[in-house]
Amino acid sequence: MTGWGNIGWQARFGLLLLAALGLMALAAPLIAPGDPLALSGPPLLRPFLDAAHPLGTDRLGRDVLAGIVHGSRTTLMIALFSAAAALMFGSLIGTLSGFLGGIVDLALMRLTEAFQTVPAFLLALAAISMSGPGIPTLVFAISLGNWTQAARVTRAEVLSLRERDFVAAARVLGMRPLEIAFREILPNAFGPLVSLAAISVASAILIEAALSFLGFGDPNRVTWGSMIAEGRTVLRAAPYLSVVPGIALVATVLGVHFAGRGLALREGVSRRERVAQ
Amino acid sequence: MSAFFPTRRRFLAASASAAALTVLPLGGVPLGGTQSGRAWAQEPVRGGRLVVAGDSEPTNLNPAIVASNGVFFVASKVIEPLAEQSYGGTDGLEPRLATSWEGSEDGLSVTFRLREGVSWHDGKPFTAADVAFSALEVWKKLQNLGRVVFRNLETVETPDDHTAIFKFSAPTPFQLIRNALPVVTSVLPAHLYRDTDIARNPANQKLVGTGPFVFAEHRPGEYFLLRRNENYWKKGEPLLDEIVYQFLPDRAAAGNALEAEEIHLAAFSAVPLADLDRISQVPGLKVHANGYEGLTYQLVVEINHRRKELADLKVRQAIAHAIDRDFVVKTIFLGYAKPAFGPIPATDPTFFEPDLPRAAFDPARAEALLDEAGYKRGDGGTRFALRLLPAPFFNETKQFGDYLRQALAKIGIDAQIVGNDTPAHLKAVYTDHDFDIAVATPVYRSDPAISTTILFQSGLPAGVPFSNQYGFADQPIDALIDQAAAEIDGARRAGLYRQLQKEVAQKLPLINVADFSFITVARDTVRNVSDNPRWAVSNWSNVWIAG
Repeated sequence: MTGWGNIGWQARFGLLLLAALGLMALAAPLIAPGDPLALSGPPLLRPFLDAAHPLGTDRLGRDVLAGIVHGSRTTLMIALFSAAAALMFGSLIGTLSGFLGGIVDLALMRLTEAFQTVPAFLLALAAISMSGPGIPTLVFAISLGNWTQAARVTRAEVLSLRERDFVAAARVLGMRPLEIAFREILPNAFGPLVSLAAISVASAILIEAALSFLGFGDPNRVTWGSMIAEGRTVLRAAPYLSVVPGIALVATVLGVHFAGRGLALREGVSRRERVAQ
Repeated sequence: MSAFFPTRRRFLAASASAAALTVLPLGGVPLGGTQSGRAWAQEPVRGGRLVVAGDSEPTNLNPAIVASNGVFFVASKVIEPLAEQSYGGTDGLEPRLATSWEGSEDGLSVTFRLREGVSWHDGKPFTAADVAFSALEVWKKLQNLGRVVFRNLETVETPDDHTAIFKFSAPTPFQLIRNALPVVTSVLPAHLYRDTDIARNPANQKLVGTGPFVFAEHRPGEYFLLRRNENYWKKGEPLLDEIVYQFLPDRAAAGNALEAEEIHLAAFSAVPLADLDRISQVPGLKVHANGYEGLTYQLVVEINHRRKELADLKVRQAIAHAIDRDFVVKTIFLGYAKPAFGPIPATDPTFFEPDLPRAAFDPARAEALLDEAGYKRGDGGTRFALRLLPAPFFNETKQFGDYLRQALAKIGIDAQIVGNDTPAHLKAVYTDHDFDIAVATPVYRSDPAISTTILFQSGLPAGVPFSNQYGFADQPIDALIDQAAAEIDGARRAGLYRQLQKEVAQKLPLINVADFSFITVARDTVRNVSDNPRWAVSNWSNVWIAG
C-alpha cells in the first residue's frame, strides 16, 4: 500500500529530485568547502571553462557552484521550517475552530479570512521590513501568510470527524474535550495536510526567493533569490549568473510539486478505497 | 505610458529618409548635396525633442531648497544659478545670471553684477530683488548646503536693479562663495515666493525660472516635459524644442532602451557599468566618461569610534591595509573610478594634497597591526566581530560591502552585513549610531567647506546625514577646520586644507577607498554632451540633435 511501486511516476520523479537536492544540501561542505561568498577566482568566468569553477564565477569572483550548493541549504531550511511552522499553527487553529465550534469557530475563522485576504507575499514583505532580515524572521514572515490553508483544511476535516462514533466513544470513556481534539481527531485529520504540505513548501520556496531577490534576505548567506538578483544587473553580459540559480529554483519547486501531487493522488485513491470498503 | 517613445518604425522611417537624402545627390541633383550634408553634421540644428532616461521624481523639485543632483538633473534647465562650472573659464566658472563677481579684501562682502534683459518664464523682469530674496530667505534658511555656505550672510544690498552686494557678519572666504556658486545659488522668482510658505509653494513642483527651458508637465511615473523658452536671454539658444525625462518601466533597462532607440541619452550611470563594454560597441551609441568632474562621489568606509576596537588607530590602519583598492577600482567599478587615500579628490587641483601616506594592500601587515593592538586570532580564527552597513544607494556600494566582508574575513575580522533600505540606513548610521562600520558615498562639491569638513568636525547634532556621526573628536582637526573657515586668503586657505588632509590620512577617522563619478551614454547624434564639469546638471541650452 505504501510501497514505491504504488505511488505513480510523478511522485517518484519528484521524490528522486528532492532526494538529490537534499543530498546536495547535506554534502555542501564537501562539494564546495569554505565560505561560499569568498572571492575565489577571477570575476565573470563563464561556466564549463575552468575545472576549479565548473559553473563559473560572478561579478566579484565568487564561485557559482558553491553558491548553488550552499544556497540549497538556506532555501530548503527556510522552506521546511516555515512550512512546518505554518502547518503546525494552521492545524492547531483549525482543530480548535472545528472542534469547539460556536463563537470560537466564528472568531478564529474571521481571523483566518482576514489573513487570507492579504496576499502571502505582501504579509511576508511587511513582516520583514518591520523586523529586519534574518533566518528566524524569514521563517516567521513566510509562515505568516501560509498557515491559513492548513487551518481551513483541518477545520473541514475535524468537522466531519467529530461526529464519528469513535469520538462519541472517547467522550463516553471520559476523555477531556481538548484531549479528544488533539489525541483522537487531529491525528486522523492529518491525511489531507500531508498533500497540503507540498504546496506550502513550494510556496515558501518561492516567497523566500522573491524576498531575497528584492534584497530582504539575510545578506550574509547565499540564497538562489539573491544570486538571481545580483545576476540581473549583468543579464545581457553574463546570463548564466541568473539562469543557473533559476534552474535550481525551478527544479526544486517542480520536485516538491510532483511529490506532493503524487502523494495527493494516492491519498485520494486510498480514501476512495476506504469509502468503498 | 509610451506617449513619448518614438516607435521603432518612425525611427526606421527617419533613418531611411536620411539615407535617401545622402543618396540623392549621386542620382543627379547637381550641387550642394554633399556639402550641405557635411554642414548638416557640424552646424547646430535647431529643433527636435531630446528623450532622456528619467532618474528620480523628487517631491520637492526646487533646486534653491534641495541642492541635490536628482533635483538639478531636471530643474537646472529651468532655474539658473548665478554662475556655472566650465572647463575653460576663469576660476572654472562661466557667467549665468551674474555677469561678474568680486569679493572685498576683508571677506565681509561680495558684489555681483547681474545680467540685464532677463525675464522670468511668466514675463516679469529678473532683478536684484530676486537674488536678495533667494539668498536671505531660501539659500541661507532652507537649503541643505546654503545653510553652511551662507551661515554668516547678514544682508543683501541692492543699490540698483542689477547689482547685489552680499554682506557678511564674519569674514567669509570669497573662494568658498565662488566655488559654491553653481550649486547653491539657484535664483527663485521673488514675486511668486514672497510672503508665502516657501517650502510648500506650488512653484516647487511647477517650476518658474529664467532658464532655457520652461517647465511644462510632470506625469508621475511617466515623464517630465520641458519646452523651449522662446525669450531666453542668450540669443540663438536653446537649440532643442523639448526635453522629455522618460521614466522607464524597468530602470535597469536603460541600455536596452538606448539600443532600441527609445531614448537618446542616459546619464548618471543609468546603464550599469557591467553593460558598458557591450553598449560601447553598439553602432550609434557613444559612452561619455567625462562631464562629471564637478560631482565626484567618494567611496568611504565609515567607522564608529565608539567601538573600543575601532577607537584604536592600529585597528583602523589594519582595515585600510586589508582593502585592495586596485581590485575595487577594476572589479567593482570596472575601471571607472580612481583609488583614493584622502578626503579631497585629485580632480580638484586647488585643494588636493598628493603627498599623503598611502596604505598599501598588505593583509600580512594588517594582521601584524591587529596582533600589536592586542586582538589575537581566537578559536575559529576570528579576532572580533563587526556589524557592516553598506549604503544601499548604488549597486557598487553593496558590492563593495560584500567585498569588504571578505577582505576583513582574511585578516580575522568577522564582519556581518546588515542590509537596510535607504531611510533605515540613514537612521541607523546618522541618527542612532547603530553600526560599527558602514560604506558611504559622500559627495565632494568643489570646496572642502561645503560638504567635506563636516565629515571630521566634532560636536554636530545627531541626525545630520553624511556628517561626523562617528563619535570622532580630535582637537587639532577641529582647530584646523575653524581656522580655515575664517581664512579669507585663498592660498593660505588651500594650505590649511592640505594640512587637514595630512592629519586625516594619519588619524584615519574614516577610510577613503575610491573616487568615482558617472557615465553618460548617448546616441551619437546628440551633440555638445559633457562639455562642462557638471554637464548632467547644467542647463543644456547648447545641446542639439543631428539628423
